[in-house]
Amino acid sequence: METMEPTAAYQVQTHSFEGPMDLLLHLIRKNKLNILEIRISEITSEYLYYLEKLKGINPSRESDFLMTAATLIYIKSRTLLPRPEDADEESPERKLIHSLIEYEKIQKISMRLRDIEYSELMFWRREEIGENFENREYALEEVSAFQLAEIFFSLIKKKEEEEFLYVSSRHYSFEEKRKEILATLDNHGFLDFSDYVSRLDSLEEVLVSFFTILEMIKRHMLIAVQKQLFGTIQIWSRDEENRALQKGDA
Amino acid sequence: MTLEQVNSKLAFIEALLFVSKDPVEPSRIMDFLEIKEIGEFEEILKGLENFYLDPQNKRGITLKRCANGLQLATHPDFHDALKDFFTVRHASKLSLASLETLAITAYRQPVTLAEISDLRGVNSCTPVKNLLQKKLIKISGRKKVPGLPALYATSKEFLIYFGLNDLAQLPSLEELTELFEEKEQPSLFQKGESPVEPDPTGE
Repeated sequence: METMEPTAAYQVQTHSFEGPMDLLLHLIRKNKLNILEIRISEITSEYLYYLEKLKGINPSRESDFLMTAATLIYIKSRTLLPRPEDADEESPERKLIHSLIEYEKIQKISMRLRDIEYSELMFWRREEIGENFENREYALEEVSAFQLAEIFFSLIKKKEEEEFLYVSSRHYSFEEKRKEILATLDNHGFLDFSDYVSRLDSLEEVLVSFFTILEMIKRHMLIAVQKQLFGTIQIWSRDEENRALQKGDA
Repeated sequence: MTLEQVNSKLAFIEALLFVSKDPVEPSRIMDFLEIKEIGEFEEILKGLENFYLDPQNKRGITLKRCANGLQLATHPDFHDALKDFFTVRHASKLSLASLETLAITAYRQPVTLAEISDLRGVNSCTPVKNLLQKKLIKISGRKKVPGLPALYATSKEFLIYFGLNDLAQLPSLEELTELFEEKEQPSLFQKGESPVEPDPTGE
């Protein structure tokens, strides 16, 4: 079988381009062009060469590179055709150059942020207070709606993969769910979110439960907390949490 | 205030900074200690700073001001030794994609995913998600355009992570351009480019 190794005919580039903008800027710098004066069509063929050879092109971003290739070819084709100057219309070339100028600024800021990050990582800070600090059972950390939604969608996905045999359909009301959740909280103190959702029967019930919980958090009836990073999310009633805290303080 | 009182307050502040995980805001300490004058507080703080930041008398712990608060952290000189001692791989660094996304968010906030992707020229869903997970950015609202896309802004954790007091401490683009001008030819910023100012009202 033929090897897929690149031949020595062209240089192998180890640096991978973040995106089409990154590649274009590289070509402009490489050819020592001034971005404010160049005609972008000058580097079109070189850009296409990179794309063709997949030099430094991240395959998962190929579509983004192709998009820009299409724009470049369009710009080049426009220059070949005589056309009346339309003052109102923003030329795609100006637009691309403007984006490039903006992108170069972003690159500079990114490099600066990387420097700051490097020097900041030299400082070690206290990570976390020990869990049994002050005999409090839980070092509770409030989680955001984003995290809750993220877990919800991963659970939904799991549910979708399961196969169900439906005997009859049942409709769930928010009011019913609210009572049920409060009753569970009264009995058990808290609800483990993943555990709770995995015990539900149907997608409909999962959805109704999730929105009930969200609504109750919004109304400050419940609080969603996480004991540690990547830990499971627990749902507490606000009253219960206060009680737990008071117990800890006492 | 007697010297004894000053010293006792100074010692208390040191103790609370030692315990605290996040930077502590001076106003909170002042309220707790019932210090009315900011000058009085600064005086106490100066004592603490002299203790930690005296170059003649180097210490393993240093006092930092970030996210409008005070925080104790180890001296950067001990970074490598600490790493060896605890045999840990230090917190992973951000990817270039994440840094670019963060740069756009910091200087353009509030900003939508579409705007970030447009500026970077690539779909930026993954870095935005990563940064949300790391809590370096947060959803600050929704843009009042069709679809109501989420608007992203930098968080307090962003300031802590980069050791900044506020966004105004980020270098301006003019400063950056000067910094890079020697290295890069030709410069792209010769003709009165308007710099992007960080929004000081953002967190």
